[in-house]
Amino acid sequence: MTAPIPTSKRKYDLNFARWVRDNVAGGDKMNMCMQCGTCSGSCPIGTEMEDGPRKLFMMIRAGMKEEVLSSNSMWECTSCYRCVVRCPRGVPVTYLMQGLAALAAKEGYAPKVENNYFSKFFWMSASKLGKTDERLVPTAYYFSFGFVEGIKRSLANLKIALNMFKAGRMHIGMPHKIRDTKGLQAILAKAREIEDRS
Amino acid sequence: MSKKKMTYYPGCSSQGSGRHLDESIRAILPDLGVDIVDIDDWNCCGASVGNIGGGPLPNLALTGRNLAKAQEEGNQDIVTGCAACYLNTHGGNEKIKEDVKKRKQINEALAEADLSYDEDLDVHHVMEVIVNDIGMEKVEELSTNKLKGLKVAGWVGCQTVRPFAETETGGKYATYEDPTFLDEITEAVGAEVTDFAPKTNCCGGSVAVMKPEKTLHLMKTILDAAVESGADVVSTPCPLCQTNLEMYQDAINKEYGTDYNMPVVFPSQLIAVAMGKDKEKDAGLQRQTIRSQKLEDMAK
Ligand code: SF4
Ligand code: SF4
Repeated sequence: MTAPIPTSKRKYDLNFARWVRDNVAGGDKMNMCMQCGTCSGSCPIGTEMEDGPRKLFMMIRAGMKEEVLSSNSMWECTSCYRCVVRCPRGVPVTYLMQGLAALAAKEGYAPKVENNYFSKFFWMSASKLGKTDERLVPTAYYFSFGFVEGIKRSLANLKIALNMFKAGRMHIGMPHKIRDTKGLQAILAKAREIEDRS
Repeated sequence: MSKKKMTYYPGCSSQGSGRHLDESIRAILPDLGVDIVDIDDWNCCGASVGNIGGGPLPNLALTGRNLAKAQEEGNQDIVTGCAACYLNTHGGNEKIKEDVKKRKQINEALAEADLSYDEDLDVHHVMEVIVNDIGMEKVEELSTNKLKGLKVAGWVGCQTVRPFAETETGGKYATYEDPTFLDEITEAVGAEVTDFAPKTNCCGGSVAVMKPEKTLHLMKTILDAAVESGADVVSTPCPLCQTNLEMYQDAINKEYGTDYNMPVVFPSQLIAVAMGKDKEKDAGLQRQTIRSQKLEDMAK
């Protein structure tokens, strides 16, 4: 059983640091971080992050649960893996960023974050159809901001869509899917069940 | 060299934005000595957001199913052309191979569809196969229609080489900071390498798809350098890099007052053209939304 996340309302709660260490994949390696800043300095999108990986890891070590889980940093990560290959201490930074994003989503901290919507729609397509439909995911995602915003964002991309269509890189009609969608869904449901119980 | 046989994982982009990557890979590999057979009824790899959207184990189960289906083809090696497919499938495969408990969990899930993965297959990126198994000499030898005078900026991007290209299981075929294989391919097909520094820069990946406004500056840096280097085309192995850099040029021009119109192609397309293959059916040049007249004029 995954231990429940500490719920203390204290600003600094070391139980949170321990919890992340034990429950987020790669969390045990976070202790290796020596705060050199190579990761944040290498990050292509660091300017868009409120904290950046180095600071985020220190905040975790200080037990700042609220600030960590409501940070936008892990949601901006492009998964470029530059931090991973450059970290002199072997900290799996990108994987930690993904794990923290998943945790924040699970704990309900990120309902309004755009990347969270996108991940959800992406997973919906991948798990139901077995394939990602490059039309469905962005469209569902655009409309998650409401109807007007959905139309606005879709129109902004209309020219792109038309070009892609003309080049034969976007199709009309039913989404692609695998033959054995049933089998895949059964596999994924089982995997979820195993993850929840272990 | 006797022919190698590998199992091919096309990935979702092969049926959409990255069709020309898929078509050109299929066109060149057999002649280069690698016969491929598709994973039957393959599924999505989970890309970079599957972990967040679905959770770690369900996301790994996507790869588990592909590996189980690949095992049925009977080849030791799996090859894929997509950076994200490679990252997830190779990374997931190594995790399953070294972690007995993970493998047990995955097999318990796979049993729901009467599947199992109990072999130790190897997953490769097509660039790794070209460098390690095929070799540049072979590419050069088969490039009879040399792309003389075409200036190419080689842009590797991220996930093709990070985080695996320098590792033992990743084939140790390139460095993270200064990979040279794209330039070697450019030379092998008889084209000219331009002096292009941001070769491992990030385009923004899926964040560029979600929030282009936050990543336009990343792509502008790449375009600035490509134009300054005098390139006719940018060559990149990654389908998301190719699509992002191509489709956001209008938005970049609008935002920054530039007038970029830089074609972005795959190295496998350059090889296909140099091998004298059909420019549409094999090289997929008609699938560029920004076309390179110079390259098309060289194609058969
Ligand atoms: S590069 Fe590694 S050691 Fe340095 S701050 Fe980042 S995680 Fe810590
Ligand atoms: S993987 Fe994420 S955190 Fe690491 S450098 Fe790239 S964008 Fe930044």
